[in-house]
Amino acid sequence: MIKLTDVEKEYKGGIRALDGFSIDIEKGEFVFIVGPSGSGKSTLIKLLTKEEEPTAGEVYVAGKNLASLPRWRVPYLRRNVGCVFQDFKLLPNKTVFENVAFGLEVIGRPRAVIQRQVPQILELVGLGEKLDRFPDELSGGEQQRVSVARAFVNRPLILVADEPTGNLDPATSVGIMRLLDRINRTGTTIVMATHDHAIVDSMRRRVVELENGMVVRDQSRGIYGVGT
Amino acid sequence: MRIGYFLSETVTNLRRNFLMTIAAISTVAISLLLLGGVQILGLIVNNVTLNWEAKVEVSAFLADNITEGEESALREDLTGFKEVESVTYVTKDEAFDEYKEIYRTRPELWENLPADALPASFRIKLFDADDAEEVAARIEGAPGVDDVRFGGEIIKRLLQVNSLLRTITFVMSLVLMIAAAALIANAIRLAIYARREEIGIMKLVGATNWFIRIPFMLEGIFAALVGAVVSGVIVVGGNTLLFSRMADAFPFLGPVFSFTTGEIVGVLAILTGVAALVGLVGSTLALRRFLEV
Repeated sequence: MIKLTDVEKEYKGGIRALDGFSIDIEKGEFVFIVGPSGSGKSTLIKLLTKEEEPTAGEVYVAGKNLASLPRWRVPYLRRNVGCVFQDFKLLPNKTVFENVAFGLEVIGRPRAVIQRQVPQILELVGLGEKLDRFPDELSGGEQQRVSVARAFVNRPLILVADEPTGNLDPATSVGIMRLLDRINRTGTTIVMATHDHAIVDSMRRRVVELENGMVVRDQSRGIYGVGT
Repeated sequence: MRIGYFLSETVTNLRRNFLMTIAAISTVAISLLLLGGVQILGLIVNNVTLNWEAKVEVSAFLADNITEGEESALREDLTGFKEVESVTYVTKDEAFDEYKEIYRTRPELWENLPADALPASFRIKLFDADDAEEVAARIEGAPGVDDVRFGGEIIKRLLQVNSLLRTITFVMSLVLMIAAAALIANAIRLAIYARREEIGIMKLVGATNWFIRIPFMLEGIFAALVGAVVSGVIVVGGNTLLFSRMADAFPFLGPVFSFTTGEIVGVLAILTGVAALVGLVGSTLALRRFLEV
């Protein structure tokens, strides 16, 4: 589903974010990317949606070589890769329903489909009662649920999450992780960059540890690890 | 549904940047008004030229001692030229009567003159005023011809002044047009800036660039077209209010200030076309860089 081979990424100014990084992720896997700040986790996430392009090496996502993907095809790639961020990225002037519907509207889904799917997905994330609330009327955990709903409403093959629990308290984080786990059980591949020891240790999924842009550990059913 | 989405987005953008939109619209309107003015000026010059060209004549003044043979030979020559439409003979008496008529308010100019003071002449009407110089040169110095005159000089001057005026106004309207495109670009840039978060999310969930672009382009074209309508109303209104009245008040100006509906529609079509172009250029300028990533 996702395959990176000898990927290097050097930003302008000579900062090396990834240095000979390789990974192979199967369909339906749940992978934690862990490591200290600046180890290249966010860069990796950005490569998967072609927000950034590697300086060297190859990136395959959903069977496509991203280097040979023309610019105009990138939106279609992103429809297959849902994204969740630490800061939720919700539109403050739209309601919960509208925020999720927005994701479908802009890719041209018919109104009937939107009217059916949005309440369904909000029910799934446990916000079935709060369709008409605005983001600032919700708790952080609830906002992140809306964000997950938006990323998943389109049933993408892959869901990438960059520190989705970074702004949440431990109890709320557990709720979000349960949600991601459920989504993973539907067959969706999940790649999640995180700092959160407790979550990684309790989930016992594949863990890939990065340091200075290189894989220092790749373990199925791993824990966050010691010393970091 | 898509069209509905694009239209409502466009309207929202225009409302959010109301003042900037007004500025863009009025710049377009003013520059198009200048352009419209140039077009109308062109029509006027055209009418003036047609009107005056019809009056261009070559006068061949005859020597007092011209023989009858010379006179009829000259008349035959003139009627033979293919450029010549008609030849009229004006006697000394007729010339004097005309002169008296022109200066009827200043009798001191003719009271003491004998009736045969002015020369007889041939008045030569041409098919094309441009040939006046050539025909005049041909009969200059012919036996019995004293002097040859034609009114072409004045028309030449007039055309030169008018073409200069047209060039100046055209350049001015061009500069204003560029300013209008820049203002539209700026209005759109502001609209994009106000909505950068939304656009970021749109890209995130896989909206195509055209889907994001179209409302902004419509916005630019809309502002420009409203400008075109405003200037069009002023052009048409000005024409009916000002020129028609002038034509009524001064009948001799009638042919100069009367335009056919076709001509006015032509001017409006040019204004609208230019406006659409300006709006498109402005919005393309604004959108060129923001969609990368």
